[in-house]
Amino acid sequence: MENVLELKNIIKNYPDGQQVNEVLKDISFNVKKGEFAAIVGPSGAGKSTLLTIMGALLTPSSGTVLLNNQDISHLSKKKQTALRLNQIGFIFQNSDLIPYLKISEQLQFIQKLSKKKPVDAKTILDKLGLSHRLNSYPNVLSGGEKQRVAIARAFINQPDLILADEPTASLDSKRGREVVQIIQKTVHEQDKAAVMVTHDERVLDLVDSIWQIEDGKLKQVK
Amino acid sequence: MYLTLKELRHEKLKFSALGLIIFLIVFLVLFITGLANGLANDSGSAIKETSAKTFILQKGSESRLNRSELTNKDWNKFENKYHQNAAKLSLSQMTVQKTNEASKKTDIAYMAIDAKGFLNPKVLSDSKLTNADNSKVVVSEKLKSSGYKLGDKFKDSSSGKTFTIAGFTDSKAYSHTPVIYLNQKQWQNLAPQNTNFNAVALKKSINKVSGYQVINKQTLIDAIPGYSAEQGSLYLMIGFLYIISLFVLAVFFYIINLQKLSDFGTLKALGTKTSYLIKHVLSEMGLLSVVSILISFAITYLIELKMPASMPFSLSTPVLLGTGLIFLAITLLSALLSLIKVVKVDPITAIGGNS
Repeated sequence: MENVLELKNIIKNYPDGQQVNEVLKDISFNVKKGEFAAIVGPSGAGKSTLLTIMGALLTPSSGTVLLNNQDISHLSKKKQTALRLNQIGFIFQNSDLIPYLKISEQLQFIQKLSKKKPVDAKTILDKLGLSHRLNSYPNVLSGGEKQRVAIARAFINQPDLILADEPTASLDSKRGREVVQIIQKTVHEQDKAAVMVTHDERVLDLVDSIWQIEDGKLKQVK
Repeated sequence: MYLTLKELRHEKLKFSALGLIIFLIVFLVLFITGLANGLANDSGSAIKETSAKTFILQKGSESRLNRSELTNKDWNKFENKYHQNAAKLSLSQMTVQKTNEASKKTDIAYMAIDAKGFLNPKVLSDSKLTNADNSKVVVSEKLKSSGYKLGDKFKDSSSGKTFTIAGFTDSKAYSHTPVIYLNQKQWQNLAPQNTNFNAVALKKSINKVSGYQVINKQTLIDAIPGYSAEQGSLYLMIGFLYIISLFVLAVFFYIINLQKLSDFGTLKALGTKTSYLIKHVLSEMGLLSVVSILISFAITYLIELKMPASMPFSLSTPVLLGTGLIFLAITLLSALLSLIKVVKVDPITAIGGNS
């Protein structure tokens, strides 16, 4: 199976006063088509920094990031933005829905921005059990429902890579598990690659591979 | 536009409040502008609406008609040189009364002219001023508000001479009083010493004639007593309103956008271009101000219809549209501060649950 995302010898430094703080130390990582990977580790270990580098939000100090065998580590801001729109789907910790868009419009907006041929947003929302919420604003939705909309939004543009940033953090364990199950199911059904950053160990049985990050070093544990 | 319309739909209260502020300021500016223009007309329309470009006054008269006295010798000089393009002008502020009502007097300004010259005004109704008749005069429509009608007689309060209103001009005024146009003969009948006159009006633009004060039309109008003080203070208010509205709107809009910074971060992380967000912010402000400006146009128009005739108020379409455009520019300018924030927001903020 081919790698969708591959990180080679990634280093990320931050200047810290007179010194240099090395947040990521020589990290290599890969995720394949149809694979759901989890990255676990204590807070402050560099999980979020790693995710921002994978998501073309941050440029690494050195090393290469290959998305579909294309080096994306040193793209311009403009190209990064286009890449995020078309090839990456994000699921954020607090779902981060746009407060003034109705649920169906959250997806419609992404489709409007992208030049890709739109898929039927309603079918996706129906599948996630949100058909009765199409015309609601995010503020009336429960945490679990919001996260399901965020999942639909991440998948709507048919990206190759899904990045989830602690998707269960604001949910109770039952709802959290449901959300991760939905991500798992969709990833396998649509044959996408997905990376989830989490410290919720109860959902780790749902993923295909587990990586642990500690003090800026990453190793595969499953 | 997509985001803009959706947001305006969802945040009706917030944006109505902002729209109300824009509306109130634009309305106030339009109202004061209308008043300033109205007062300007009320003060100098009798001079402004002539086709004269230059006025020749006695040397040392400091641009004031009433301080200038020219003789027929002076007149001959200019008539020989400029012929039809020169005209004699005398002006005097006096009082008239209805022939049978000594108690009800009206302040007016006499303008004595040659009925054959270019200063003879157009009339709205009935006959123009002629040189032949000794009693028929043309007066400003403004006199109608003092109860004068076509064919009415009035008496000059100081000399007791009686004239008949033969025609009305539009509301020509000088220093807030209606103008009564007299020919030279009528003028001399009022007072025998009226052989001299105040100024020569020229249709041409010239800068200098030695021995005289040569001024253009606007300088003459500016020197009308009270004119500069009135206009100056009103335009100072208008200027301040523009500046105040720029800052008030900038602060309001900045705060509104500050609340949405995390949304902007998310949108950028999802792949929204910064240029799209700039367009979104500008179209939001633009749309809001265009609607508010149009409403204030409508309200100003309605109020103008209901305004009493004695209230000097005048707002021409170019001035109206100009004010609207300036305000559109001001609101867009006020969005600049917010735009800096929007451009600077880093999509990274969406990761790590910071928002």
